[in-house]
Formats: sequence, C-alpha cells, structure tokens
Amino acid sequence: MDKTTHFGFQDVATNDKQGLVRGVFDSVASKYDLMNDVLSFGAHRLWKRYTIASSNVKTGDKVLDIAGGTGDLAIEFRKKVGTSGQVVLSDINAAMLGEGRKNLINKGVFGVEFIQLNAQKIPFADNTFDCVSIAFGLRNVTDKNQAISEMHRVLKPGGCLLILEFSKTDSELLKKFYDFYSFNVMPKLGGIIADDEESYQYLAESIRKHPDQETLKTMVLDAGFGFCEYHNLSGGIVALHKGIKI
Amino acid sequence: MQHFVLEQALNYLLDQGAADLGALNGKTLHFALEDLALEVNFICTNSRIFVTADTTGASDVDIKLKSSVFLALLQGEELTELLRQDKIIIHGDVKIAQLLVDLLQQIDIDFEEILSKYTGDIIAYQVGKLAKTFKKSQNPLETLKDELTTLLVAPSKSNLFKHKGV
Repeated sequence: MDKTTHFGFQDVATNDKQGLVRGVFDSVASKYDLMNDVLSFGAHRLWKRYTIASSNVKTGDKVLDIAGGTGDLAIEFRKKVGTSGQVVLSDINAAMLGEGRKNLINKGVFGVEFIQLNAQKIPFADNTFDCVSIAFGLRNVTDKNQAISEMHRVLKPGGCLLILEFSKTDSELLKKFYDFYSFNVMPKLGGIIADDEESYQYLAESIRKHPDQETLKTMVLDAGFGFCEYHNLSGGIVALHKGIKI
Repeated sequence: MQHFVLEQALNYLLDQGAADLGALNGKTLHFALEDLALEVNFICTNSRIFVTADTTGASDVDIKLKSSVFLALLQGEELTELLRQDKIIIHGDVKIAQLLVDLLQQIDIDFEEILSKYTGDIIAYQVGKLAKTFKKSQNPLETLKDELTTLLVAPSKSNLFKHKGV
C-alpha cells in the first residue's frame, strides 16, 4: 500500500482520502445545516458567531472562507466587509458549494464569490487576504500542514487565520457524555434525519483523530504564523485557533 | 475571553475613528501585570489590534507594572511620572508605550471586571479602589501604605469597604 492516512478510524491510502471525504459530503450536503442544528443543539451558530467576532474583519477587507459549505460564515463576513470588500466562499465539494450558493440566494446575500478549491493548493496569489477561515473543515483535509502553509501564504502580513474545529475536552465527565453521544446517538440521528448513519459515524471518528489544541497550535506556528492562540468553546468540544501572520 | 473583550473594544475605537493606530501599526507590545502573572501581547498590524495570550513571539516594546499601577494609569496617571517613580518598567520606545496607554484610556470597559477573572472579584475591586485613591492622593505611596495598614488592622475603617456600610 502507498502512504496511508486516517479516514475516521480506518487507515486508507493517502490518495484515497479525498474521494472518501467527498462521498461523505456528497451524501450529507442537502441536510447539512439541519443536522448541525440537531447534533449541536444549535451551539454551532454560537461557535460561528464567536469566530466572526474574533476575526476583526473590517469594511473593505478580503476574506477567504475555506470548506465554507453552506455559507453561514460567508454571509456574516459579507456584512462586515461591505460592498468595498471581497468574500470568497470555497469548498472542495461541489455539492456543498451548490448548497452554499442556494442558501445565500435564499437569504438574499449577493456579492459573494464561489470557488471550488483544494485547501492544499489554494489558487490565489501570495498576500491576498486579510482573513482566512476554515470552520469544521480542517479535520477532513488529507495534508493539514500543507493546507495551513497555503493559508499562511495567501494571507497578507497582519492577516488573521481562524480555524474552528472540534477538539478535545479536559473534563472527564463531559468526555464520557460526549463519547457516548458521538458514537451512539449521532450516527443514529444521522440515519434517521439524513438517511446516512455511516457518514455520521465518520464524523465522530474524524473528530477523535484530529490534533488536540496544543498540537494544532504548534502546527500553525510551524507554518510560519508569528502568533497563535486558541479559545476552547463548550468545554473544549470545539476550539477556535487564531493565527496572526507577521 | 477577557482578551477578546479588550480586543473588541480597541478595534471598535479604531473603527469609529475615535483613535488612530498611526505609529503603533506594525508594532507588537508585550504587556505584563507582574502581581497577577498576566501577560498579553498587543499586535498592531494591518490597521487593527490583536490581543493575544501568546507572548512567545518577539515584541518591540515590553511594559511591566503592577495591576494597581495599571488601573491608576487608566484613570489618568501620567506615564512619565510612574516611570520616574519606577512603578512601571518599559523596554523599548516609551512613545510607543504612551500611544498604547492613550488608546487604553479611551476604552469604556471595566478593567476591574476583567482583572477580577484573574484575581477574584473582591481583590480586583480592592485593587481598583487602591488605584483610585492612589491617583487622588498627593503622596500616593503613603496613601497606599495607609490603606493597606487600615485594611489589615481594621478592615471596617478602610475606604475600600465604606460603600458597603461595613
């Protein structure tokens, strides 16, 4: 077998992961927002709101939202940058991007650019954006270090990287509850609502395989960011990493 | 979370045009409250300010002081006077430090509340009261000593508790 990586708890050929992840998101795209609301009890909206507030994005800024899916971050960024700014909503998955486009049109949000891209090879020039965000997307990327390096490259000096992602909780009690919920309840709900139990089993597994807060912070600093800190949300179930390019 | 509040307040000021980043742009200021072991970096870049607990990166200016001196500074105490009294230590360009202090003085947030997250509410409140007394006094050091003595020997007579009618 060639080089391997993880896909949930499975080891798969590195070259295969992208296709497998695409399969997951092709399957869940149409129910993605509904499932997020149900599975997080609506908390994902608060986590994203905090992310937007932490961005310090201003009128006229250029923002790239990677793995932006159904566009909830892009919508808020659009309000912040105004007509003089630019928001690019990107996703590797065409079905998710299609849902994003539909969602923005339904909400009357215009002026957002859509692009299908791989976070490991971002098709923008160096020093383009004031802010790059990726919410609940990094754990699905095959080569995370490469992706973070690319995000660093396309950020302007002084630009801000925001990584919102599931992480590790320190609370033993919360961890027990969360493990039970993740592996017993989430896949079942995925089966009932999105008719796809397997994809939500992958979601739970991929969260466990994702680097913890300190490891991800080191990865961000190693990619060349001058500063990085993280804020735990909901007891560390989710963490927001914020890197500043100097 | 306290950094977040401070960062939001500073950038709101900048957005409103109430303050100008000017000479601070491109500078990183390391700020330490020694008695609380509280350190933050103010990264002034790209026309905004990031406030971060990550203090591992290089800084242009280092500012060290005690929390009571910090609160006095925010209430209008002169930076130069505090420097002269060795109550604040600055490594780097003092003018840059002064610009940050000017910005912080304009923020309408309750720093006592922020400090309380690190010290517990009562201690933060006491530090704040000491800072206020410190500023009003002709002889700040003596006032501070008096207040601390009163607080330790006869707490009920301390100015710190007068508002509660203790």
